[in-house]
Amino acid sequence: MYLRVELSWNVVVSAEQLHGEGLLLQRALILQLLEDFSNRKANSDYGYFVAPTALERIGDGKVRQDSGDVLFPVVFKCITFKPFKGEILCGVVNKIMKQGVFLSCGPIEKVFLAAIKMGDYHHFPGENPVFQNDKDSKIEKNVQVRFKVLGTKWIETDREFQILGSLEGDYLGPIYKGEI
Amino acid sequence: MAEKGGGEFGFTPSTAKKSIFKQPVAKSAVGGSSKKHKTVQFDTSSESEGSPVANHNNGSFKSGGKGLFDSPASKGDSGKGGKGGKTGKGWGKSSAPKLPVVVQLEIEKDLPKNAKCMMDCAAEAALQGIQDQLSMLSRDPTIKLPLAFNKALEYAKGSSRYSNPLAVWHALEKLRVLKITESELCLISNVCPDTVDEVYALIPSLKTNRLTTEGAIKNLLYELDNLKS
Repeated sequence: MYLRVELSWNVVVSAEQLHGEGLLLQRALILQLLEDFSNRKANSDYGYFVAPTALERIGDGKVRQDSGDVLFPVVFKCITFKPFKGEILCGVVNKIMKQGVFLSCGPIEKVFLAAIKMGDYHHFPGENPVFQNDKDSKIEKNVQVRFKVLGTKWIETDREFQILGSLEGDYLGPIYKGEI
Repeated sequence: MAEKGGGEFGFTPSTAKKSIFKQPVAKSAVGGSSKKHKTVQFDTSSESEGSPVANHNNGSFKSGGKGLFDSPASKGDSGKGGKGGKTGKGWGKSSAPKLPVVVQLEIEKDLPKNAKCMMDCAAEAALQGIQDQLSMLSRDPTIKLPLAFNKALEYAKGSSRYSNPLAVWHALEKLRVLKITESELCLISNVCPDTVDEVYALIPSLKTNRLTTEGAIKNLLYELDNLKS
């Protein structure tokens, strides 16, 4: 689920980017925040950092003696994306194996639906393996699937979440174009 | 997802309890002995079908260390530590039917204090606005978007069915008086349900007050239907 978050970070702006007060400083801070978002990618509390939306407060800058860069304590709002247990999400099938299906869901690239958690869907091997149920509903590569989040796991080394999903329950499964 | 024992990774019962499926359910889903129990590791690099490594001892994803998902699963999956034989203690009774435990929404519990839930349609509008602004500045090579931005925008576009997030929130907010949480309201808008049954099936936490909420949800779905883009 997307989150609207208010955060307080220290942002370091290099001396070359400091042209003056006002809008140019705000621009430099937003650009630096975008870069910090790229570098930090995600954390376990807020999920994936997507984009800063507003600068709320800019504190007094402190000049770093060694480099001349300036450190600003900044309060800002941003959008993040974090998966929660029990949530309903949609993912796109990347890979099908007899043990289950791998999906990606927005910025989360590792979602696994175990075959034993796929209700009445059964694996049909072949050149293009699929999971199919008695009602001819097919889960194949690039199909969008609605699933329930059974569990999430934060991987500190890769700075990413992994999701374990389930199709057990009504209204879960593949979604075809024009239907959501 | 199984954790059969743990000798190799030094799992003691106490550490295992912290790391893995906490609510035992669906014993019957895992038949057979613990030796037959296999796990799957993430290995997205390989394209071959047999690429996931079936591993009898390691229950964690390849990239992720030893902790496992904090989620309900079968007792057999849980690997609460110790020897495989001990974890399979109750498996002899697997023929007894066991209802699956419904996974409840735990957003409110896990949500940090300085964070609020956001509907997909609101996220789409906000992210699209940011992208439009940036496209005007795209000649500036210093602008570097986070990796998650494009994927998040794509996801929001795919899942959002409403073009007016403010009107959607106005419609949803009427349900706040019925003690429906903000996260549940956001989830209703995200799943874009067609029927009342779909709402209760996908968000089982609402079932507890079904008698009081059903009428209001019916009206809400009517309103949301008119707001679909």
